[in-house]
Amino acid sequence: MVSVNAFPQNMDKIYVCRNGSISFISDAPLELIKASNDKLTGVLNVNDRSFSFKVSVKDFEGFNSSLQRVHFNEDYMETELFPNSTFKGKIIEEIDLRVPGEYKVRAKGKLSIHGVEIDRIVKCDLIVNNKQINVNANFTVFIADHNISIPSILNQKIAKEINVDVKFTLIPSEQ
Amino acid sequence: MLLNSEKMGKNFFTTTFLLAILWSFLPAQDLDELLGGIDKDNTPNYAYGTFKGTTIINGQSVEVPGNKDLHFLISHRFGAVNSGIYNFFGLDQATTRLGLEYGIKDILSVSVGRSTYEKTYDAGIKLKVLRQQTGIRNIPLTMSVYCAGFAESTKWEDPERDNLFSSRLSFSTQLLIARKFNKHLSLQISPSYIHINLVPTAADQNNIYSVGFGGRYKLTPKFSINSEYYYLLPGETANDYANSLSFGVDIETGGHVFQLHFTNSQLMYTPGFIARTEGKWEEGDIFIGFNIFRVFSLSRKDKSKH
Repeated sequence: MVSVNAFPQNMDKIYVCRNGSISFISDAPLELIKASNDKLTGVLNVNDRSFSFKVSVKDFEGFNSSLQRVHFNEDYMETELFPNSTFKGKIIEEIDLRVPGEYKVRAKGKLSIHGVEIDRIVKCDLIVNNKQINVNANFTVFIADHNISIPSILNQKIAKEINVDVKFTLIPSEQ
Repeated sequence: MLLNSEKMGKNFFTTTFLLAILWSFLPAQDLDELLGGIDKDNTPNYAYGTFKGTTIINGQSVEVPGNKDLHFLISHRFGAVNSGIYNFFGLDQATTRLGLEYGIKDILSVSVGRSTYEKTYDAGIKLKVLRQQTGIRNIPLTMSVYCAGFAESTKWEDPERDNLFSSRLSFSTQLLIARKFNKHLSLQISPSYIHINLVPTAADQNNIYSVGFGGRYKLTPKFSINSEYYYLLPGETANDYANSLSFGVDIETGGHVFQLHFTNSQLMYTPGFIARTEGKWEEGDIFIGFNIFRVFSLSRKDKSKH
C-alpha cells in the first residue's frame, strides 16, 4: 500500500537545527573584528535535499566594543528593518543523507543579508552518523553585494570581504 | 453489511491515497513554516542608539556607555558670540569640562568630571531602569535615573571665617524618559531636581525644579541634529536666570562622537546649566561649544592588530 510505505519515510525526512553557531571575521588593515551567534536555526528535508536557514542579526555578540555592536545593528545591518539573514535552497549533489559517511557537497540557494538576496553556492562538509548530520562551512560575503555601505573614513577598519564560519548539527525532528 | 464495509474500505483507501499524495507534495514550500515553528525568538529587541551620546547637548541622555566601555569626554564652551571681534566672537575665552564615564552591564554607568568654572568636581551615577524593547516584552520607553554630586573648589573668599565643606556642594537628580520613535527621531523628557546647599541670599532657592525636553533627528547614520530645552518652574531662580536652550549636531566616526552646538548656557554640569544659565538668545548671549566623546573598550585586548 502506498500509505504504509510513505509514512515511515516521512517520519524522519525533516532534520532541524536549533542552536547552530555562526561567526564572522572582518580582517581590515587597521582593525580585526570578530562576532558570533549561537542561535542559528534551520531545517533540511533529506528527501529532496532542500533547506532553509535563518539567523537573527541582533544576537551577534563579540565585537571590540559595545558601541561597535550598536553601529553594526544600527548603521550597517539596519537590524530593525532586516532582522534576519537567511539562506534557502537545495543541495546540488544527489546523495542519500540517511546513509552514514562523510560528504563534500555544494549548497545552492539564495543568501539574504541586509534585505538583499544573492544566488550563492556554498561548499559544505557533512558528516552523517547515528541519525545526525554535522555541517561545517565557510564562505565569504562581499558587503557591497548586499548594499551595506561603509563610510569612507572607516575603509581601513572594516573589511570589504567578511569571512563567515558556520557549524551546526541537524537532528531528525520529532514531529 | 457487505456493501457498507466495502464502501468504507474504498473510502479509507481513497482518503489515505489522497493524503499520501498531498504529503509527497508538501516539502519545499513548507520549510519556512517549519523553520518559524522551531525558531523560538526569546531575546528582546532592544532599541539601540536612542541617542548617539550620553548627553543630548548639555543635559544627560538616557544612554549609558556600553558594558566595559570607557568614555573620555572633553567639553568646551567658548565665550559669548556677542562679545564681538575683539574677543573673536568668544573664541578667545573658553570653559572646559573633562570627564570620564564607565559602563557596567549596559545599564549602569559611573562618571567623574571637572569643570573649569569654579573648579567644580562632579561625580555621578546613571542607571537604566527600563529599556525600550519589543519581542517577549513590549516596553515603549527607555527610562534612566541620573544622580550626581558637585563640589566647587575655589579658594575661600575669607579663610578666617568658619568655612564648611558642605557649602561647596550641590546635587542633581534627574529622571530621563525617552522614546526612539524610529531610526531618525528620538525624544526625551527629563524632570529634574537640583539642590544647592549654599545660596547667596535667603530669597534664593535651595531646591530648584525644572523639566527638560530634548530630541534628535538623524539625517544620515553618522549625522544628527539635536535640540534641548530646560524649563525652570516658576520661582526666584526662574526670575533671575534664563531657561537653557541649545541646538546642535552630532557627528559620529568609529570610536568618537562629536557634538557641536550653540547654547545660551556656558556651564556644562547639571546644576550649572539648569539653574545658572545667564545667556539670553534674544540678546545674542550665545556660546559656541563642543563635546567630544572618545570611546575606549576595556573588554578586549585584541582590538588592534599591532
